[in-house]
Amino acid sequence: MPENQNSLLLMAGLENLRSLALIGMSKNAGKTTCLNHIIMEWQATKQTRPLALTSIGRDGESEDILSGRAKPRIYVPKGTLIATAEGALRRCDALLEILELSNIRTAFGEVVLCRALSDGYVELAGPATTEEMGTILDLVLSHEPEALFIIDGALSRRSQAGSGASESVILAVSAETSSNPEHLAEKTHFALEILQTPSLDPTPKKLLLDFLNANKKVRVVCVNGPEDKAAISGMETPSVIGFGKDIAGLLRKDTQILFLKGAITDQVIEILLKEPEFSDLTLVAEDGTRLFIKPVISQKLSARRIALAVLNPLDVRLVALNPTRTNSQSADASALLESLRQKLDVPVADFGPANM
Amino acid sequence: MKTQVMVSQEVLKQIGLPAVLEACVCRTPQGRRLKNSTKFYTPSEREALREELSAINALKSLAEEDHPEFIEAQAQLSRLRELRGTLSRLEKGSLLDDTEFFELKGALKIFYRISRLKKLLKAAGLTFLVTKEASALLDPAGSGNPSFHIYSSYSEALTKIREEKKLLEQQIVHLKGAERQNLLSKRLLLLSKEDKLEDEIRRDLGSKLANWLPEIRHNTEICGILDFRIAKADLAVRWKGNLPTLAEKGQPAILLNAIQPVIAELLQKQGKEFTPVSIKLECGSTVLSGANMGGKSVALKSIFLALLMTQLGYFPLCEKLQTPLYDFMAFESGSDGDLTRGLSSFGLEAVQIRNQHHRSRTESGLIVMDEPCRGTNPPEATAIVQALCKVYAESDSSFFIATHYHVNPIRGIRFYQVRGIRPERLAELPPHRAPADLTKPGLEVNRSDSREDVARVRRIQELMDYHLEEIDGSSQIPSGAIRIAELLGVEENLLNEMKSALREEKWQN
Repeated sequence: MPENQNSLLLMAGLENLRSLALIGMSKNAGKTTCLNHIIMEWQATKQTRPLALTSIGRDGESEDILSGRAKPRIYVPKGTLIATAEGALRRCDALLEILELSNIRTAFGEVVLCRALSDGYVELAGPATTEEMGTILDLVLSHEPEALFIIDGALSRRSQAGSGASESVILAVSAETSSNPEHLAEKTHFALEILQTPSLDPTPKKLLLDFLNANKKVRVVCVNGPEDKAAISGMETPSVIGFGKDIAGLLRKDTQILFLKGAITDQVIEILLKEPEFSDLTLVAEDGTRLFIKPVISQKLSARRIALAVLNPLDVRLVALNPTRTNSQSADASALLESLRQKLDVPVADFGPANM
Repeated sequence: MKTQVMVSQEVLKQIGLPAVLEACVCRTPQGRRLKNSTKFYTPSEREALREELSAINALKSLAEEDHPEFIEAQAQLSRLRELRGTLSRLEKGSLLDDTEFFELKGALKIFYRISRLKKLLKAAGLTFLVTKEASALLDPAGSGNPSFHIYSSYSEALTKIREEKKLLEQQIVHLKGAERQNLLSKRLLLLSKEDKLEDEIRRDLGSKLANWLPEIRHNTEICGILDFRIAKADLAVRWKGNLPTLAEKGQPAILLNAIQPVIAELLQKQGKEFTPVSIKLECGSTVLSGANMGGKSVALKSIFLALLMTQLGYFPLCEKLQTPLYDFMAFESGSDGDLTRGLSSFGLEAVQIRNQHHRSRTESGLIVMDEPCRGTNPPEATAIVQALCKVYAESDSSFFIATHYHVNPIRGIRFYQVRGIRPERLAELPPHRAPADLTKPGLEVNRSDSREDVARVRRIQELMDYHLEEIDGSSQIPSGAIRIAELLGVEENLLNEMKSALREEKWQN
């Protein structure tokens, strides 16, 4: 049963947030539907702060490229800020005032910051990296310091030494992941655990961030030796995936922290697990969305006394359930909801299809 | 610059030109393009170079006093975008999109803001053309707001459609289901009309703006020139560059206290100071000799860089500099042989010697050689160096060579040497003590230099006086290699053999 729409803002505590990321557990998890619900409710409750929307990757298209199936579009009210690529701009039908050209290029052209001068549909195709997202956030704040910045897809905040604040997230989950209530609850529980991996302690975090700021191209960092005499070394690789052996070569017996920038997958960890030095340390990712690991790998890490930590912790405010599957069959929505609520500490809701 | 500067990329790097270009920070794509084109001012462009340098000089004064107009110009320029694509589409009559209109609106605003900086523009020697009417096309309400969209005020029909659409949208937000879909369909009809009208307006705006293309192009170019001049003025302030004097053809180049910025910075980090280089380079040949470790290469590079920067329109890092304009500049470093490709270093040197000499027959160049024929047998090397000095002594070019080989003084050849270590300073050096392991007979001595030896070499370097002084050609002294061997503790009997062999060699010559 869809929830009373008024509860979304309250359940996720959006009114006091500066920024929010919408993350989907699978394709078609219902992120865009959730975004449309937020927009509608923001308007219905007459919020005075404007919304500022963008996406990582490409979303809000009228058709899903792979399946050809219609995807929900984003209908924004007048006054909303959007940051989207020039190519996507042509498919927006709200009257848009161009505020800034960001110099950030994507496959769909330069990302442009606009203000909607009328209600209408928009398509979001924002920047690809966290750094660029930071630039967009700065641009947004220079025009609308009070805006609630919502990213369809991933993250907004850049790492800042000493910043203990967590990034707020709504996790969209659909029956696509599993239509079995227990399985879905189990999988979502694990996903939440990974997404909400705790922050690295302040002292090593500052050390790591200072090093990363001074060495922008470094993707792999090892902190060796005791904290008061820590030696830090880094390595530049084009990615983390496919460089497992090179990363393993950097490990030492006294390695305390291994930081990997980018996606950390099972495959990378499997290679590292072959090294005896890969034990009794903290494996650090940029944030919980960069950890693509299965429960079995997580157990192997625990057995090696390897803790997981992140530079930018996430705080999942709400799990939004979409009980439909790609083939448009609806699973037993109330059973899914019930099972999720029992298993998770985070509020869970099904807001139903957005009326777009 | 390709034909006038005969220097390999590797040697340019050693001389420090890439460091200069990197430190000269342009804010606009247009300015960066000018910088990267590394324009070399030939003697026929003397007037243009004089204008360029005098503009930089005037801008430098503004930069030194942090003049508000200088700061404002920098801020405005940093907003200017690459306009080539948009302007070319405007010229072709293509339908521009709103981001392109926004870009043009922004550029026109920058032109207007900078055109009001009268003092700065006077200093820079530049003038903007008025584009006020073009600006008004993109800001019909005259609000001064930098944002852009197709304004309703462009057309009554557009205003009407948008009002209708707004009424629908106000209803849509409160509706659900079929009623909502119904109004959304109506809205879609209005949207297609709105789109059509907007495109008509875009086409009309484009054709009106195209009338202003010459002015817009001119102002864009002026922004590039201004940006590059401001960047050079700023660099001159940071690096203490000074206005050079352009002398007539045939006059000597005179440099007072030239500095090589990359080495100077490196030394500064080590808590040491760069010894500035002063010299007078007449037409003909100038031979620089001096002790090993005496910094001849550094002197050559500092001098060449200062003269090259001048002809590229930068302020040289030199307290005072006067120079004629050369037709070409060449720097040949003997160590530049491309050994990785298996080419003989003398083979490559010979090619350069041929090319430079050929060119010097019709043009006046600055030809610098850092110890040529390094790996050649001494009698032939001496002959080659002597011949080069003699031939260039009679030419219109300035030939400047650092060499260990003896050059016979003849008319047209001047001699400089690095001062080296003065005897009174030698007293500061404690007597050399042989390392303990050297004193034990039969013991294998490790080839790697001991820490004391490295420290001692460093100490000798510190005693070295890197200043250049003009000397009489007949009193060229040996390079001081034996003296350095002595200072580093080579045993007495071997030293005596060295000295007597040297006396014999001199006697035979």
